This record gives sequence, C-alpha cells and structure tokens, in this order.
Amino acid sequence: MRVGIPRGLLYQYYYPFWKTFFEELKVEIIVSSPTTKEIVNKGIEFSVPEICVPMKVYTGHVEQIIDKVDYVFIPRMVSISDKEYFCPKFMGLPDMIKYTVPGALNKILSPKIKSDSDSIANPKFYGELKSRLGISTWDLHRALKKADKAWNNFRALSKKGYILTDALDIFEGKKVPSKEPTFKDGEVTIGILGYVYDIYDPFISMDITDKLKELNVNVLTFEMLEDQAIKDSIKFMHKKLFWTFSNKLLGAGYHFYQNPKVDGIIQVTAFNCGPDSMIGKMLELESNHFEKPFMTVRIDEHTGESHLQTRVEAFIDMIRRKKMAGGVSRESNLSPYGLNTSI
Amino acid sequence: MKVTFPHMGSTLVYRKLVEMLGHEAITPPKPSQRTIDLGVKYSPEFACFPMKVIMGSYVEALEKGAEVILTSGGHGPCRAGFYGEMHKRILNNLGYEVDVWVFDSIKRDYKNFMNIVKKLKGDNSWLRLWTILKLLYQVTKDVDGFEMQLQTKRAYETKKGDCTRAWDKIQHIYNSVQDEKGLKEARQQCQNLIDEIPVMIIPEDQKIRIGIVGEIYVVMESAANMKMEETLGSLGCEVRRSHYISEWIEHNMIPKAFSKSHEEEILKKGEKYIEIKIGGHAKETMGNIVDFHEQGFDGIIHLMPFGCLPELVSQSIMPKLMDDLDIPVLTIALDEQTGTSNNLTRIEAFLDLIRNKKRNRLSKVS
Ligand code: SF4
Ligand code: SF4
Repeated sequence: MRVGIPRGLLYQYYYPFWKTFFEELKVEIIVSSPTTKEIVNKGIEFSVPEICVPMKVYTGHVEQIIDKVDYVFIPRMVSISDKEYFCPKFMGLPDMIKYTVPGALNKILSPKIKSDSDSIANPKFYGELKSRLGISTWDLHRALKKADKAWNNFRALSKKGYILTDALDIFEGKKVPSKEPTFKDGEVTIGILGYVYDIYDPFISMDITDKLKELNVNVLTFEMLEDQAIKDSIKFMHKKLFWTFSNKLLGAGYHFYQNPKVDGIIQVTAFNCGPDSMIGKMLELESNHFEKPFMTVRIDEHTGESHLQTRVEAFIDMIRRKKMAGGVSRESNLSPYGLNTSI
Repeated sequence: MKVTFPHMGSTLVYRKLVEMLGHEAITPPKPSQRTIDLGVKYSPEFACFPMKVIMGSYVEALEKGAEVILTSGGHGPCRAGFYGEMHKRILNNLGYEVDVWVFDSIKRDYKNFMNIVKKLKGDNSWLRLWTILKLLYQVTKDVDGFEMQLQTKRAYETKKGDCTRAWDKIQHIYNSVQDEKGLKEARQQCQNLIDEIPVMIIPEDQKIRIGIVGEIYVVMESAANMKMEETLGSLGCEVRRSHYISEWIEHNMIPKAFSKSHEEEILKKGEKYIEIKIGGHAKETMGNIVDFHEQGFDGIIHLMPFGCLPELVSQSIMPKLMDDLDIPVLTIALDEQTGTSNNLTRIEAFLDLIRNKKRNRLSKVS
C-alpha cells in the first residue's frame, strides 16, 4: 500500500504529523518532489486560470505522484478553530482535485478535519481510513497519538525560532539542532507575513527567507509566535475573519507592528488571494499609525526572480538607511509607509 | 424610522415589510452605472463585486435620507459575512449616521435575529407581525410564480418588452396589497395581465430552456449581470434562476421542523461534486445544475463575481459535471469592468451550440 503526499499547501505545517502517522501504520508514503517548473506547468494545465498560484502548484504535485500510488492523501481541512474555517478553496480541495487531475477520481483519501484547535489528532476525523487502509481502531488511535506528539515537537522547534524549512530538516534528521535556532545577528529584523505554502515553496516565494539571510536580516514568521500571542493581538477586533490561517497572519501582523525589535513587514501573497487582499489592506492602513514600513509582494506563476530580489533589496536598504539616520520615526517626511505595489 | 435595504432583483418584500410595520421605506433606485461608480469609489478595491454594487445602493439610499439599513448576512463562511460591518464603517467614515441591521439566518443566530425583529416590530402586536409575515410570504410566493411565467413567455412575446413591462406592473400591483382580500384581487389582476400578452407559437422541439445559476447577488440583480434574463429572453430562451426570494425565505426563516426546503434538496444533489458547504453558493450551484438537467433544461449560464472564492471551486469542477450530464455550461465572471459586447457574443455562440446540439439529437432519433 502506497500513499502519496503532495508537497504543497499545508505540507510545510503538518508533514511531520502525516509522516509519523503513516509510518506508524506501516504504510509506505511517497512525497512529491520540491516544486519544479514542470510541476507548475502541469498545475496550470489542470486548473482554471483565475485560481491562486498555490492551488495550481498543489494540483501539479498531485499529478506528479498520482500514477505511482494507491491513494493520495488530501485531508479536507474544514476548521482548526472554533467558529472559524479554511478558505473555501481548501474546503473544496478534494473535490477539485478529484475531478480535475486525470486518474485521481477514486484515489483520494480525504478525512474531514473539523477541529477546534491546531491539533488534528482526533480519531473521529479519520474513520474513513479504517476500511480503505484496512487498519483497526486501535492502530488508528496509536498512530494518531504518536503523530500528534511528533507534530508538537516540530511546532516547538518553530516556536524556538527555527525557520520552518530548518525545523522540517531537523524533524527528518537531516540537520541537528544548533545552539542558536536562527540567524540572530542581522542588523535588521523583518516580519514576513504569508501562508506556509507561499513562504516556503521554493518556486512561489523563490526562497525569500534565504535571500533575507544573505542580506543579513533576521526573519520572524507567524509560526514562530505563540498561538496565544497571535490571538491576543487581534482581540480588539469586533469581528474576526472567518479563516483561521488568515487570522493568524493578521494577528502576527499586529504583533510585528507592536514588537519593537521588528523593523518592517513584508507580506508575501499570491495574486487573486481573496483573504490576503483583506489582510493586506487592513495592515497597510495601520502602517502609518505604527510608523513601520510595510510592503506587499504579490506573486503569480509569471513572477521573475530578479524582480523579487530587487524589491526585497530596495526595501531592506530603505530600512537600513532609516536606522542609520537614527530611527524610522524621525524621518517621517520621507514616507516609506504602506508601499503596496505588486511585482 | 427611515429604513432602506439592498437592491437585489426586486425590493418588494423588504419594502412592504418595512412599510406595513409603520416605518418609512427608502427604496434604493435600481443600480445604474452611477451606483456602480459610487460603489467602486467607496469600497476597498479588493472587495467582491456584489459588495461594491450594494455599497453604491446604500449611498444612493442615504442621499434620499435613509437612517437604517436592513440587510441579510452572508451565506456560509465567506467574505460576505463582513459586508454589514464594512459597509457600516465606510458609511460612518463618509459622515452618514447610519445603523446597519443584519438579518443572519434565524437558524444560525437566533438572538440577533429576534433583536432585529423586535426593533422592527416596534409597537405592533405580535399577532399583527405574524399576519404581515404570513401575507408577505404569500406575496413572494405569488410574485415568484408570476415571474416564472414571464420568464417563460418572454421568449415568445410578439412585442418586445411586453413581459418586462408586465413585470413592473405586477410589482406595482402587489405593492399595494394590504390583506388577504387585496391579495386575491391582485392575483387575479396579474394573471390576466400575463394572459393578455400575445405570443408566438413555437414547436416544442424548438424551445430552448436555460437555467441561470451561481452566486446569489449576480444571479438575482439584473443590473449586475447585464440583464441576463432579458437578454436570453430576447434571444428566444425560456429562463429559470437558481434563486427565488420565496425559496430563500423558506430556507433561512422557517424552522426545519416545518419544512424540508427546496434548497436542502438542491444541496443533496450537489453533494457528488462538492461534498460539503464551502461558503457562498458553490455547492448549490452544482446542485442546481443537476436539478435543471433532471428537469430537461438545454443549457446553463453560470454567473460568478470575478475572483469569487467558492465559485472558483465550482468553476474548476464544471468540465467534469458537463461531461457527466452532457449539458453545456457557460461560466461568466462579472465585475465593474465586464464588457457587455464581448459577453453577448459568447452567449450567442453558446446558444448556437445548444441549438445545433438539439438539432443533431433530434435528427439522430428520427
Ligand atoms: S487563502 Fe488565498 S492563497 Fe490560500 S488557497 Fe485561499 S485564495 Fe489561495
Ligand atoms: S461568495 Fe463570492 S462574492 Fe460572495 S463573499 Fe464570497 S467571494 Fe465574495
């Protein structure tokens, strides 16, 4: 029995859970390769043009492994927080893949995740796997427990400050934990706002975290923050967004604004992302109020790498100059705030 | 109290509800280019198209002196859930002292629902309120029924515009219905109006029936969909929509125990293609197409606001559904930049395809 795991969307967030889970069940897993041009092109071929790039990329990943596996694992992410949901595209993802990727029709394992917290280990979500994978209730419980533990360890790495890609490497045993989780000597600290599938996909964001490191910049992301801190920073909002990860980003955004160590914020977002356009606008408006530079980088399948590089460099340069001139707030007549151009 | 409400197709029910409870109804004008321009100007650029048009309508109603906006909440977890809040904030910022009352489904938020009901009810007795609601429900049922008749007849009217004129008159007639007796008279009068419209006789096998499905606002509001129903009618097609007000009331306002709503059946039919409700009307869209197909419709026009999250999911699955059911579907994405002429060409080509398909099928049988 072979189960395929596409390296897209929530892979970066839940892979340690999924991997441990299937290994415990003695199910062989096949993970698609890191995103390549070919994967993207396949994704484009099988998607509607207006859909966001992460969805296209994911579609390409499924296509790459569909013929090599008995099942593809595409959990239906409905909710991981009380009264909040996933973006409609996530909730309809298994249906979309099922009917668009050739050969996927009967191969999709999509347990319905309706949790009230980030933990996705409740056995009641996974009932359908028992018959399809031929496993007992007891096995299921045991594997979920183990998976949850592995995942919590992995999340703890993020919260210590490891960049997600490093945390995954440590989880896989490819890297040993270092004394200092991340690079912490940079002259500038940037909060990056974006979904894990945008920030950590080498194709989508073109390794933006590495680029920043090369520029001697410290990086902070939402998954490094404590869940409570994120929640607290948007407590003041009367009505929150419906989407959990979008709320996390919004919370992280406010946190970055309030955190004196953070010098500026870069939002990385996909063209046509409905939820992000709302977050982006709200945070852009706050940029003046907090006197911190905010920049949005919008990405689609045609975005060139040099363009991204130039924009990021210019942004960092600007911040560095401000800092040398003695702090951002003193130069308010040279307003760099709320830069919101797309590339 | 001067109360206004969104313009979504017809404003009859909202207006009557408000007036019969003793408030002053400020009916927003039918959305025009000005409405859309105002909406675009005052809405954040990322907002969905329906939100922008509604924004424009509110501004126009406020210009006419409205003090309260009465509206219904979003459908499922989507951006629309914020519209009430966002509209209020923007309008207040513009200097309008306006209150926004959002009717969410009674099944979802009973307390809020009852709160608004109490505010609207004012000094009226509960019995009076009940009588009004019952009457209005009848009115919507009647009016929806007449609208359907016109949607059929429009395809065959000998004098262009007869049906649309009749439709305006019907709404006018029902607007002055105050009680059961008036209702009966109106019913008779309107039926006569419709029966008098002269039509051409078209053989059954040449009739074309088109279902319009998709996101509720762009399906219901002709100003937002390039007058899709009239366009199709003038091209000789009978039309039905996926949404009618009486069905919406049945689904959202009447407790489940009393009725198994039409919408639930539709959802059931959509389940094969989109298993769960994902927000907006995506699942209904699939279910409605299956339903129209079962009723023998010849084709489907699928309307969605540009970039609409849930409808992008239905659009993705559309090729498979078209294949399964062998029914042509034309998806049209709408926003303030939608060009009418380009889409008209697409619609004409689509209808040609349907006619050819029908002809081929018939010649095969004989
Ligand atoms: S949240 Fe945005 S990027 Fe993610 S799936 Fe939805 S639309 Fe796409
Ligand atoms: S259903 Fe579509 S139009 Fe309605 S709020 Fe959601 S994205 Fe906007």
